[in-house]
Amino acid sequence: MRLYKVVLNIFIVGLFVTQSTTIAFAQSKFEIAGYVKDATNGETLIGATIRAISSKRVTQTNTYGYFSIALNSNEDSLAVSYIGFQTTYYKINTNKKSNIAIELKPLQISSKEIVITGEKSNKQITSTTMSIAEISGEKLKNLPVILGEQDVLKAITLLPGIKSGGEAGTGFYVRGGGPDQNLILMDEAVVYNPSHLFGFLSVFNSDAVKNIEIIKGGMPANYGGRLSSILNVTMREGNNQKTQFSGGVGLISSRFTVEGPILKGKSSYLISGRRTYIDVIAKPFVPENVKGNSYYFYDLNVKTNLVLDEKNRLFFSGYFGRDVLNFQSPRNKDVFFNFGWGNNTATLRWNHLFNKQLFLNTSLIYNRYDLFNDFTFGNNGFNVKSGVEDINLKMDFNWFGLNNHSIKFGYNYTFHKFQPGILSGSIGTTNLSQAINPQYAHEFAAYLADEWKISQRIALNLGLRAVAFNLVGPYDQKAYDPDTGLPTGQVKTYQSSESIAFYPVLEPRASINYLINEVSSVKASFTQTYQFLHLATTSGAQFPIDLWVPSSKKIKPQLAYQYAIGYYRNFLNDVVETSIEAYYKPMFNQIEFKPGAQLFFNQNLENEMVFGNGLSYGVEFLVRKNSGRLNGWVGYTWSRSTRQFDQLNQGQVYFYRYDRTHDMSLTLSYQLNKKWTANFVFVFGTGNAVTLPSGRYAYRFGYNITENKPELVFIDVYDKINSYRLPAYHRADVSFTYIRKKTEKWESSWNFSIYNVYNRANPYFVYFFPDVELGEVKAYMVYLFPILPSVQWNFKF
Amino acid sequence: MRAFILFVSCLIFASCEKEIAIEVDKVTEQYVVEASINQLFPNLNYVYITKTIDYFKPEFSLNGLKDAQVNITEGVIVGDDTLFNGTVHQFIPVTDSILPGIYINPFFQGKLNTPYLLNIELKDGSKISGSTFIGKAPVIDSLVYWYTLQDKDTNGYFWMEWKDGPEQNNYRMAVYDGFDSLLLGWGAAQRFYTFDDQLINNTSRPFRSFRPYDYGDTISIYLSSIGRKEFLFWQSFSTAVNNNGPFASPVAVKSNIKGAIGSFTGYAITQKKFIIK
Repeated sequence: MRLYKVVLNIFIVGLFVTQSTTIAFAQSKFEIAGYVKDATNGETLIGATIRAISSKRVTQTNTYGYFSIALNSNEDSLAVSYIGFQTTYYKINTNKKSNIAIELKPLQISSKEIVITGEKSNKQITSTTMSIAEISGEKLKNLPVILGEQDVLKAITLLPGIKSGGEAGTGFYVRGGGPDQNLILMDEAVVYNPSHLFGFLSVFNSDAVKNIEIIKGGMPANYGGRLSSILNVTMREGNNQKTQFSGGVGLISSRFTVEGPILKGKSSYLISGRRTYIDVIAKPFVPENVKGNSYYFYDLNVKTNLVLDEKNRLFFSGYFGRDVLNFQSPRNKDVFFNFGWGNNTATLRWNHLFNKQLFLNTSLIYNRYDLFNDFTFGNNGFNVKSGVEDINLKMDFNWFGLNNHSIKFGYNYTFHKFQPGILSGSIGTTNLSQAINPQYAHEFAAYLADEWKISQRIALNLGLRAVAFNLVGPYDQKAYDPDTGLPTGQVKTYQSSESIAFYPVLEPRASINYLINEVSSVKASFTQTYQFLHLATTSGAQFPIDLWVPSSKKIKPQLAYQYAIGYYRNFLNDVVETSIEAYYKPMFNQIEFKPGAQLFFNQNLENEMVFGNGLSYGVEFLVRKNSGRLNGWVGYTWSRSTRQFDQLNQGQVYFYRYDRTHDMSLTLSYQLNKKWTANFVFVFGTGNAVTLPSGRYAYRFGYNITENKPELVFIDVYDKINSYRLPAYHRADVSFTYIRKKTEKWESSWNFSIYNVYNRANPYFVYFFPDVELGEVKAYMVYLFPILPSVQWNFKF
Repeated sequence: MRAFILFVSCLIFASCEKEIAIEVDKVTEQYVVEASINQLFPNLNYVYITKTIDYFKPEFSLNGLKDAQVNITEGVIVGDDTLFNGTVHQFIPVTDSILPGIYINPFFQGKLNTPYLLNIELKDGSKISGSTFIGKAPVIDSLVYWYTLQDKDTNGYFWMEWKDGPEQNNYRMAVYDGFDSLLLGWGAAQRFYTFDDQLINNTSRPFRSFRPYDYGDTISIYLSSIGRKEFLFWQSFSTAVNNNGPFASPVAVKSNIKGAIGSFTGYAITQKKFIIK
């Protein structure tokens, strides 16, 4: 109950502070505030740059498109810019007391020449934030695709410091961290498993995505809970001007979106769905003996927003997605296997403006990831279910009331429920009913952050996040014999809400920006983060069956420090941005599993874990051109990521599986003419570190009397972890987007992509085959995608 | 499950493969022992001694170790203690034509509810030891088999049940396609199952075959009760055997002997034979 009281107290104090500040700072200086929107559909624009020309102040819109800026005089103008939109100038009307709405028009291509003048801000230079990258939904649509599917998670791996897990996988690894060390948020709701199709596609439908932000270092204090990164996916709100239908038809799935106003200009809705038809397409090609297989996935995004009045807005967004795999034995039709998994999220948000200086967002969030597994044969059968779900309440305040300060504070309370497994069913006369004890935890965080412009040259962002994680009952803590894995019979029973493990921690955050001149700056940051939730996997990748487990008495929270320093330089009137960032990230209480650990339906999972430390460091280079006929970026990362566990690899330091010495990506987009755009992607990465067997032995002796020879199986022996390298990964993709028709009422475009243009055989995995007849062992490399053309048709009306 | 996922992935994305040259380090040499005793079948009482070999060494299974002294000693349980002071059975190497490194004693017959101690002394003086226990053989209460006609196939299956007692039990089952009463070595069987009573305890324990047999197939079932440490070994062994694919991770088997990789397993066996008709 202690945490509930803390939450309540903070809420009351928060409200008191807000009311006090309203009184204290209202009318204290000239202030202009409002929203920046897309003129065509009324969608708010995140991260738009607002520059007060005379006052020489700069700010950006927040996640809800809101901004507030203090002016030195009331004789000023605002220059508002956003990538892909025309820069708009807004003359301050000193008599206007309400919030303003600045609408930006998308860039148009004139009939005579192509003029693409995207964002020309020096945000990169002036902001204290570092190690943050954004990709807009529009940019995402222009990237080459595989199998006709745009993908958020594949797109972000084109940025420096973010590595792909391998061929076509959606797993990503940020600055040497594991896949579970990325907090993936969709409209603030945690997405525990971000992939469809066993990791080949992400759960994010590109039609419903407005913006993607990835924070890989210098983490702001309002975020926490993961060591390596925050991936913040913001869903579109829907067109509040007119009803619109859009969609796309790809090789393996199709999408359809409907959006429109509820109250024109004020409120809107969006419903977007996607389903794959792999099961239908693949059917003719599937061999007879596996005809019983079928696989499909679908997802649904909904969002609506309602402007209650000038100071209050409500948002509701939801996601429901599921993968389903069925198997029926062709020779044994009474045997049926049904396997499904998916995420559900629901986010209810209330934006409230106390005044121009104080913005509040309150969110109530529910998210769940669950897995079910039904197995039936005849009249018998059983099913296994598992999952994790959260209920989350958070309040985030933005206060612009102090000159040269932008203050954020708030709190976040999450109730976690972990259900590792429930088994039920019957086989013959035996009823099955077993459950691994569910676990419950409270996680409470409060934060305060101040972006303080100390002088014209120096800006400081200081933050402190206080977190308390409390694993609580009801729970029966069984003791196990470490040798046999069997329960000893000793059970410690925790009553409901009784504390099992309690971790109060502080996470200081700091970053500083020294402006060398108008086009260059130096930044440094320090971040301390804890992680209380851990993914139980032995493969280094994320699978549907993997479980999330909480910190406990034995499982200490993971801890990371990250030190980063960077130099930033803009060229050509801010059209070209360049940066170089170096980071050093020691990590503690890292979790691995013993070789051959049994994870599924294991009550004693903790006994399979081993604990150690990690270290990552590297240098990242980025050159980015955001505007012009030719735009894109090139990124390069040199890095190291290692692990050390006393119980693994004889205690010696070893390379992390996704350690990648060199990682490079080139992304280019070129507007050929009014109708055609060409896009090009090239990626190169050092091969993954893999563990290969150094030896083997023959075992399970038997003598085949019929053939008069011994029968043996061979078991691999491993000496060193990740001591080998797969061949380097590299690939080039091209795509052409053809706008067939674009009018007020109808848009139609085609995307022609070629994945892996030069047909590089990139390693997916390596295996060995001992050929007993020939008396030799052969090594084979499996690769997934050769040159792969695809086409996608998109429409909007 | 991972193998199944891989299987489906491969169906969806037609993967390709090519042979590559790769060099791996030399293995750290270790002794390997597979020792098996039971109360029913003399041909399943054997000790196989071998060594780990480099991955790309051309000889596969011809590194069995001859010239070892192999003894299995009977023991008794006195209170909480186990004393190995009974008959010492010497196992001797069989002819090289079968497989070097195999040791047998045709006169040895295991006893139920009896502990055994394995001692091996190798030519180089190395010593390997381990203990096991032949417990109580499970009693199969019912066994039914049937077949259904589908197209040209006759799909035969079997179902059996036995009583799992209140104590903690571990099982290993081998299924041999045939009526071979001279089964020499467990590896001659076609299918193996290792499981315990974590999910079904102190009640009727069912087992259903899922691989279809043909009409007229002969089947021998060897259902055995084994010790916990032996179970952990064979469970990890099963994981190691099936460890492949892109997401495979190294598996270390959980040996229950000292001085070598491997297991000394006492099987309390129940056997059933039948013809699918």
